[in-house]
Amino acid sequence: MNYFRLSTALVAMACATLIGCQESPSDAAPQGFAGLGENAEEFAQADASTPLSFPRDHGSHPDYRIEWWYLTANLEDDKGEPLGLQWTLFRQALTPPDERPAPSPWAADQVWMAHLGISRGETHVAAERFARSHSEHTNGQAGAEAAPFQAWIDDWLLESPPGANFEDFTLQAYSGEGADRFGYTLTLSAQGPLVWHGENGFNAKTVEGQGSRYYSQPFLSITGRVTLSGETREVSGQGWLDREWSSQLLSQEQTGWDWFSLHLDDGRKLMAYRLRGGGEAGGDYVFAHLISVDGQTQLIGADRVTLTPLETQTVANRDIPTRWSLTLPDAGLQLIVEARHPNRWMPTSVPYWEGDVVVRQAETQENVGVGYLEMTGY
Amino acid sequence: MILRVLATLLAHYRRHPGQLAMLLLGLWVASALWSSVQAVNATAKDSYARANALFSANLDELSRRDGQPLTREDYLRLRREGFPVSPILEGTLEIDGERLTIVGIEPLTLPSSNTLGASGAALTAFITPPWQTRLAPDTLDLLGLSRQQAPGMTPAVDSAGDRAGDSAEDRAGDSIEDSGQRLPPLALRTDLPPNTLVMDIAAAALLLDRDNTLSQLVTAPGALSTAPEGYRLTRAATLASPEQLTESFHLNLTALALLSLVVGLFIVQAALGLAMEQRLTTLRTLRALGVPAATLVMAILLELLVFGVLGAALGLASGIWLAGQLLPDVATTLSSLYQADVNRSLVLPWHYWVGSLAITFGGLLLAGSGVLWRAARLNVLALGQSQAWRLAYQRQLNRMTLGAAAVAVLALGLVLWLSLLPPGQGVLISFGFVAALLLSSALCLPPLINGVLHLLQRWLRRHPLAHWAVADIQLQLPRLSLAMMALLIALATNLGVSSMVGGFRLTFLDWLDQRLAAPLYVNASPSTLAPMLDWLDARPDVAETLPTARGSVDLLAMDDAQEQGTRKRIALFGITPAPTITDRWPLLDTTEGRPTAWAALSANSVFINEQMAVAQQLVPGDAVTLDTPQGARPFEIAAVYPDYGNPRQQILVPTEVLIQRFGGEVASIGLVVNDRADRQALRQAMTDRFDVSTEAMVDQQEIKRLATQIFERTFTITRALNGLTLGVAALALLATLLAQARERRRQLASLWALGVPRKTLTFLPLFQLGGLALFTGVVAIPLGIAITWTLVAIINVAAFGWRLPLYLFPWDILITLITALGVALAAAALPSIQLWRTSPQAMLNQGAT
Repeated sequence: MNYFRLSTALVAMACATLIGCQESPSDAAPQGFAGLGENAEEFAQADASTPLSFPRDHGSHPDYRIEWWYLTANLEDDKGEPLGLQWTLFRQALTPPDERPAPSPWAADQVWMAHLGISRGETHVAAERFARSHSEHTNGQAGAEAAPFQAWIDDWLLESPPGANFEDFTLQAYSGEGADRFGYTLTLSAQGPLVWHGENGFNAKTVEGQGSRYYSQPFLSITGRVTLSGETREVSGQGWLDREWSSQLLSQEQTGWDWFSLHLDDGRKLMAYRLRGGGEAGGDYVFAHLISVDGQTQLIGADRVTLTPLETQTVANRDIPTRWSLTLPDAGLQLIVEARHPNRWMPTSVPYWEGDVVVRQAETQENVGVGYLEMTGY
Repeated sequence: MILRVLATLLAHYRRHPGQLAMLLLGLWVASALWSSVQAVNATAKDSYARANALFSANLDELSRRDGQPLTREDYLRLRREGFPVSPILEGTLEIDGERLTIVGIEPLTLPSSNTLGASGAALTAFITPPWQTRLAPDTLDLLGLSRQQAPGMTPAVDSAGDRAGDSAEDRAGDSIEDSGQRLPPLALRTDLPPNTLVMDIAAAALLLDRDNTLSQLVTAPGALSTAPEGYRLTRAATLASPEQLTESFHLNLTALALLSLVVGLFIVQAALGLAMEQRLTTLRTLRALGVPAATLVMAILLELLVFGVLGAALGLASGIWLAGQLLPDVATTLSSLYQADVNRSLVLPWHYWVGSLAITFGGLLLAGSGVLWRAARLNVLALGQSQAWRLAYQRQLNRMTLGAAAVAVLALGLVLWLSLLPPGQGVLISFGFVAALLLSSALCLPPLINGVLHLLQRWLRRHPLAHWAVADIQLQLPRLSLAMMALLIALATNLGVSSMVGGFRLTFLDWLDQRLAAPLYVNASPSTLAPMLDWLDARPDVAETLPTARGSVDLLAMDDAQEQGTRKRIALFGITPAPTITDRWPLLDTTEGRPTAWAALSANSVFINEQMAVAQQLVPGDAVTLDTPQGARPFEIAAVYPDYGNPRQQILVPTEVLIQRFGGEVASIGLVVNDRADRQALRQAMTDRFDVSTEAMVDQQEIKRLATQIFERTFTITRALNGLTLGVAALALLATLLAQARERRRQLASLWALGVPRKTLTFLPLFQLGGLALFTGVVAIPLGIAITWTLVAIINVAAFGWRLPLYLFPWDILITLITALGVALAAAALPSIQLWRTSPQAMLNQGAT
């Protein structure tokens, strides 16, 4: 799911950003959503040849074109009201490693972008930040260090305390002034292992082999304070942190995706996505990982997953599917995934829908979990 | 039928091409001057709008409280603390000998409401080597490039204009390829201000050889409720935009153009009236043949339209040409006076064309309304009789007198209104007053002339020829009066404006002498000047060093010295209060004389410039509250000093105080050297010791020459328009005389038949008209003085913030009289020469018809 966000980031940063795209939508060949399908041969290529290596891979990989640190959380406040939040840091390389500018005061080879989102009931707020890399500064405006782990842009900071690298975290991010201020201060703690998606942590995204290095920490337990609509409340709940980097994520035919990260009440986690276009015979590319309580992944074949929109609503003048059917017959799962509220549009430089969902048993309509849904390219 | 009637009417001009020429000439000059000034104004407005859209004008700004320059570390620290600031790096570069402003921006953090922040097109290309130079198409003219070839080109840079104080070692350190010598590839953006190159801050830093220093840290308006610790926050609203600063200047231009328009329309009115007069018989015949009055009016209206199209086309074409000639001087004025960058080539929006056409047509219809009225009420049976017309004219004179009185009352009312306003306000009312004064005087003129002629007639009863000449001029008065009114207005304005400019020049040069007390000045960056000061002090050939300093401070509202109170950024200027300076430094107003004022300045008081005194309504003895780095403090005002050429408010303190208490930095050093000192050797030693160019040390005379040059250019357009207006008035008079020359010959023929010698007949009109013009000139003198007073005492105070003493120049007054006489004689000469050349036979024929 992170990857979608990524797209956002990408877009913005990726050269043409929004405006570039808007100015000449017709000249450019299709390059997937937000430029994520752009060819990137001069960059390092993601593949399954080497396993992930920690703590090194917690930090940034500037030789790859795109990368992100992606956190979503399903929380409840002290009044029992559910609340969703998102914090994402994206990195995009401006030039291939061989063409980087010589170091000089403001010369940049990377652009960073971050999104902050909070949702409660019909309320949804979002903020966006950008930064360039500073070649002569190790502690610049934005960056990500492997150990001790730190990922930041301006004063938004996700970090691990010394000695608890990538197991415990604190996250602080606020935006706005005075009564319009919103944001959170959170403490996160891993209750399970890191989960690798695919062989050696390589996750194919198309049948042609494009893909990314991808691992997750889906077992986060979270406590903290959230400021929204002029008041600050104590919150607690669970979160999911994704790490992903790549140089060409999508094929040029893929136009968007629907990405689910679900916390089931029985302790299992489910990650599933549908990439629209780029599948066999031009169809969709569907993928699902069912993660057991102890972090073991079970790959569900594309023919053993169905993802079907059941209902759309008009959000930001677009038809957005807000109720889905998700079935994994082999695992005996027949689920309905529904947005808590359709108003979860991120009006960022690359706009997309991202919000908290509830998961129900299709037959009994019984609540069996919560999660996050990201939809791009609508 | 209407076309046939129109053809009949137009046939008149085939017989009298002179009248047609005069009509078109009037329309042409009226519309040309008006459209040229409007073209200048439209271009300037376009430049201001683009500059405003750029940044500084609408963004809040941060500066360090300790007065140190901002650096990249400030930027990074503030961002990491969560303050949404964005860096801007500005400097100048010379390319092909033209000075261009370089603006380096950080597009990722620049507030997105901004033109540039939002312009993410090809963001990667913008922020990645070889970067991009964004510039407006009109800036290409300066670089000598065409729009087709420009995109992608990388023009070479002559030299860095103001490389800030980094040492030579620093500069050599980071040269990326040869980007220090060439601009990044050009990309055109129409919404950028002229003469400005916008690029990524990384590219700008390399071009300007600045490592870490910044020019500005900006943030979206209102994004910060309070300034970060150690910084000062200046709200966008408190920074005056070029548009506000230059408003009065453009109003001045518009007023002059309006004057030309009015004078030009006088010509049109005279020409139309004459043509109507001569076509009365034709019109009556047409009516008698059965042409309805409505058709006749329509035909005349059509005729006006035809002339309007011709006149407007001519006027627009030459107006734009004229504007092209005037624009460079206007641009220089605006940049030297207001630091407002104005495009040096014209930019004309659609409403400019519509406006110019509308003004021409509107003016034509106004001038032709009398003709239309008369055509509509045409009495088929009436005979054109001069005597009958004379009676009618007497009634018209009475109406003029009444009108003049009414307008005079209005002028008086406006003066009263002005006297109630605080000084420095009411530019529009002042112009209204000048207009009312001119109109009232112009309306007064014909009745006045008529009265004088009546007296003369009585007095000359025993001199038949002179008696006839006076009676004759009285008869001509209805036609001449309009031309004389135009002459009066032009003469008075000319006198008023030239006295103002002359007075200003005297004051300005005097002031310059007093302000530039030291014979030598050194200009360099503050980091070079600071060590240089010690070095200079130690040299035996230097008798005295007089450093000046610059800085800024927030002026807190008088009633509310709290941190949250309203504040306005005011420039601080520091001088060294040594006798060399204090003996000569000009002061306008003090509490207890100069010595006390200077003593007070050294003891925690301040001086303020006249602009500030006017704008804030302060006088010596008042106090201002300034937000010093040590907190809000009150300062007493000891004196007010004149500060010509500065559009902004300024506070003066001793250099030492400015540097130590307000975090200012050394701006220049005034030098007094020993009599026998070798200036060349000193210059060489300074260049060798410090990293400064030989031009860093400037002679006082050189500064004066430059300042005077700028001054002269400032008033170039005023003078040009002024001269043109007088020219138009002369044309009006000439046109009127030419138009009636034929008829005059007929009347003079009778005199000739009575035995008056032809020589006398030739010179008679010269005396008649010369006398009339001289009288007009005499009336113009008090009127001109009144205009001068309004300009120096009201309009200049409001427009520039300074008041000038009222100077009168007898020579100018004499010139005015001579001009009046010259114009009249020149205008009368042509008909006289024609008369001289007319054969007696032809004269007799004239009498017979």
